Amino acid sequence: MTALTPDLALPAPRPRSRSFGVTRTLAARRFALTARTPRELVVPLVTPVLFALVIAPALKKALHTSASYESYVAVGTIGLLIPLNTMFSGISVLVDRESGARRELLAAPIHRPLLVVGNLLVAVATTALQVGVLLAFAALRRIHFDVTATGLLWFLAVALLFAIAMYGIAETLAARVSRSEEYIARVPAIAIVPWFLAGSLFPVTSLPVVLTWVARFLPLTHALALMRWGLLHDSSGLHNIWRSGNTTATAGLSLGAVALFALLMTAVSMRAFTRAAVR
Amino acid sequence: MTTMEVRHDAAQHAAGRHNDLAIEVRGLTKTYPGGVEAVQAIDFDVERGEVFGLLGPNGAGKSTTIGMLTTTLSPTSGTALLAGLDVARDPVAARQLSSVVFQDPVVDRSFTGRRNLELHARLWGVPADRAATRIAEIAGAFGIADILDRPVSGYSGGQRRRVEIARALVSDPQVLFLDEPTVGLDPRIRHELLDVIDGLHADSEITTLLTTHYLDEAERLCDRVAIMHAGRIVALGTPAELRTSMGDEILELRVDGNTQTALDVLQARGVAGDEAFAVGSTVTIPLRGRSSAETVAGVRELGIATTAITARPPSLDDVYLRLTGDRLGPD
Repeated sequence: MTALTPDLALPAPRPRSRSFGVTRTLAARRFALTARTPRELVVPLVTPVLFALVIAPALKKALHTSASYESYVAVGTIGLLIPLNTMFSGISVLVDRESGARRELLAAPIHRPLLVVGNLLVAVATTALQVGVLLAFAALRRIHFDVTATGLLWFLAVALLFAIAMYGIAETLAARVSRSEEYIARVPAIAIVPWFLAGSLFPVTSLPVVLTWVARFLPLTHALALMRWGLLHDSSGLHNIWRSGNTTATAGLSLGAVALFALLMTAVSMRAFTRAAVR
Repeated sequence: MTTMEVRHDAAQHAAGRHNDLAIEVRGLTKTYPGGVEAVQAIDFDVERGEVFGLLGPNGAGKSTTIGMLTTTLSPTSGTALLAGLDVARDPVAARQLSSVVFQDPVVDRSFTGRRNLELHARLWGVPADRAATRIAEIAGAFGIADILDRPVSGYSGGQRRRVEIARALVSDPQVLFLDEPTVGLDPRIRHELLDVIDGLHADSEITTLLTTHYLDEAERLCDRVAIMHAGRIVALGTPAELRTSMGDEILELRVDGNTQTALDVLQARGVAGDEAFAVGSTVTIPLRGRSSAETVAGVRELGIATTAITARPPSLDDVYLRLTGDRLGPD
């Protein structure tokens, strides 16, 4: 065997703060692993595309609603796509723990919350890709959007924050359950049930009063209302939540609510990951 | 702690040699939720360049000890220093100095071996050009150059283990942790891997802490061994020191009947000393200078029925049996 350590001095000095490079490495790793399992990208997309392109037009035809209902539901399906994709991304955390390199990553000289950040970046990127595909399909289906530059910014901001928040939930759940079966069993309650209450297919004011109040506290309700304001120039969702006619103010409030939710869930997920990593 | 005469007192061992220590462990304790005391106030030092073995059966606390040293488990109490860095207070810096090869496969299987090695290099902050040189160097030394660009999912168990050990070395660690490195491998591959690990020590001054429940591994690889039992270190010394603590020769009697009664009789009549012990159907008597023929004659005179009598040099297994009453080896 040839000599393995020709220079036995201490390792060369390394920068103490190299968080950016480490995060990029972790995100590249996660992206490469995701790219090797295309079903992680495709499966979450199937249901929302089906809703936007098949079920919404069918509802329009059956219920004789206006063309804008297709647009309404197309945006509503984004509220299903983001939670589904981010929750599916969380499964990869479990796979890493059960049969991947997670312990090698935990033994690395890096701050462990960066492992969450690396996963988060890829979850957000794949979600953005899927939302883009969904909107492209909708446009091809001649579903009408009324987008301005400002509206697009509102949409991008709230979609990003909502995806961050939902990934925080996914990472937290992954840290707290011991088996992937337990994780998957909880996905419908987290990703789908709120969608029915948050004004995805109909305004929240169509719900019984009690549920309308529940809906007002769901982050998804705020996210969908803002997305519709951004992409359809439809402020009715914001009005239904805040009961105010000042759209800019209510949009700001809803964005703040989603941002707070994202901040909270990111902090909780990092804490949950770190606690689960070191027992 | 139950101690043997050969056990080095931790404080004495450390005195005056603090700067030569790669690992210092004092009163390290881990109690899991539910009250399971996996590791109980252990003390030991490992000098720079030393190969130190933690020997014991499954559940002895070996992997828990490595978990605390590599900061994947938090100690309940006590301290552990890696090259003077407290692993609890400065975990990132401590991890910078060390690498781990885990008991189970811990690798990205869909990646090539090379990509796994490169990932380690990046996470440990090894510059890209240095990493490329290191990987080529290690791949040649470990005989994995021809498989390195294939996905790990297609590797045999032995190939994967080599790649995992190679990965741990890419960052030039000062301290290498090997947690049961050969468990689950077939005998041929296991011996090949022992050659690889032995070569590490021969060619470098890397400090290695390995856990094992294989006696031959400990004897072959380790400069010193700590025998762990039920979360405690029950003996510590070089393999030769531990063996000779039972003298040059032992007599092993396979008893046909009540072993404890036989032992009591042998001790009462002076055929066996206080060090003799009984486990299962076997009574083991350290001869301590007495001839085996003389002792066998004493056994015969007492009318103790035996199915086999063997005289042989003591092994680490005998040391362990004497201290714990359990036999080493996989569960």
